[in-house]
Amino acid sequence: MTIYLVIPLLAAVVLVQTTIMPHLTVWGIFANLPLLFVVSWGLLQGKKEGAVWGFVAGVAMDLFSGAPFGAATLALMAAGFLAGLGEASVIRAHFALPLAVAFWATIVYGLCFMAVVQIAGQPVIWWESLWRIVLPEAVFNAALMPLILLPMRSLYIRFRRDEMEW
Amino acid sequence: MDRERFQNLIPALLLTVALLGFILHQVGWLQPIENVLLRLSAPLQEGLSTAANRLGDLTQAARDLRNLRRRNEELEAQNARLLLENIRLKEIEHETVLLRELLNFALDNPTLEVQGARVVGRVIGREPDNLQRYITLDVGREAGIERNMPVVTERGLVGRIDAVGDRWSRVLLIIDPSSAVNALTQSTRASGLIQGLPDGSLEMRKIPQGDTVSVGDTVFTSGLGGNLPRQILIGQITGVERKDYELYQTARVRPTVDFDHLEMVLVVVGFEPIEPTAEETVPDEQ
Repeated sequence: MTIYLVIPLLAAVVLVQTTIMPHLTVWGIFANLPLLFVVSWGLLQGKKEGAVWGFVAGVAMDLFSGAPFGAATLALMAAGFLAGLGEASVIRAHFALPLAVAFWATIVYGLCFMAVVQIAGQPVIWWESLWRIVLPEAVFNAALMPLILLPMRSLYIRFRRDEMEW
Repeated sequence: MDRERFQNLIPALLLTVALLGFILHQVGWLQPIENVLLRLSAPLQEGLSTAANRLGDLTQAARDLRNLRRRNEELEAQNARLLLENIRLKEIEHETVLLRELLNFALDNPTLEVQGARVVGRVIGREPDNLQRYITLDVGREAGIERNMPVVTERGLVGRIDAVGDRWSRVLLIIDPSSAVNALTQSTRASGLIQGLPDGSLEMRKIPQGDTVSVGDTVFTSGLGGNLPRQILIGQITGVERKDYELYQTARVRPTVDFDHLEMVLVVVGFEPIEPTAEETVPDEQ
């Protein structure tokens, strides 16, 4: 899939994330759409493309965020890369695999994000953030994963033979 | 072959770029790029935000319905109490005015501390993840907004300006874990530090053991440290945690501002925050 398609697609997803998603909360938590897109693509196309999508979505997230630049980028790259380790098997594997990957990718994302924020010198309440924010968000993201993975599979089938073009 | 090697190196290159971006952000060199991009995206954000607010209102209405009856009963009881208190406060206000005149304070406007030019900003963006609490406004340097200016609504303190562009500004909400505000309780004048918690609630920390803190008491900014005006409403105490072996008490505070449904806010531009110097020993008020 060409990078010229990836950038506007992920930029649009991040725009929706900053404007619409904070209104769609369940018990104060909202889903992380860019993370789900990155994890889905990582699962379908592998760790390299997972990391690249993580980078593009992360830069867009960081530009809209008050957090230190790099927090979302590094966290999404890590999540996309790790999700990419489950590449290919996702098509044949049990349907629970993508859900589990979304759950653990959210945990990895949260940990990386908080680590970068801490390195930047901002206070982080680790245990409470993990327990009250990251864990419920991981469950929420896992539940929504099929809704994102299905359209992403269509994209994958359309572009499966294409390497990312630079 | 070379092309394949380059493709394999891409994740490592991007990781380097991300780390470089982090360092450049820390030294403040990314600000111009952020300025341009946020300026370009602001109209789009504004449009989407308006649509989202309408959508949010619809879903919220359904959610609110079941709470309305219970809340109505509570409010009726509260209203009766407040009516009596209002009469009492009017008497006190009258007495205060007379006392001020007697003390030759007639020239001072008692509300001057929080008065000043105010800029109305529309919330056009929110933090894209659950871990931090910021909002983006559609007003910036061109409207006289500067860093550290207090942001309020009619219901109380929202936060302070954390970053400013020409036509946008970012507000660090008081419910963010990195925010700390010096505060006082209304009835007992107990002082403490209001800090955000990851779940979006507030906690009043560093309350001296000797001070009395009671559930239901309201909390205001104390003005200590000079970073925020005095007497801006923050919230109401919902619980107190006191342990004899600890130096301080802690209280849970319910914010009066509904941070989930912020649409319009006021930026107090007439107030000049004092930047504490390294030698000063004022508490960390952000």
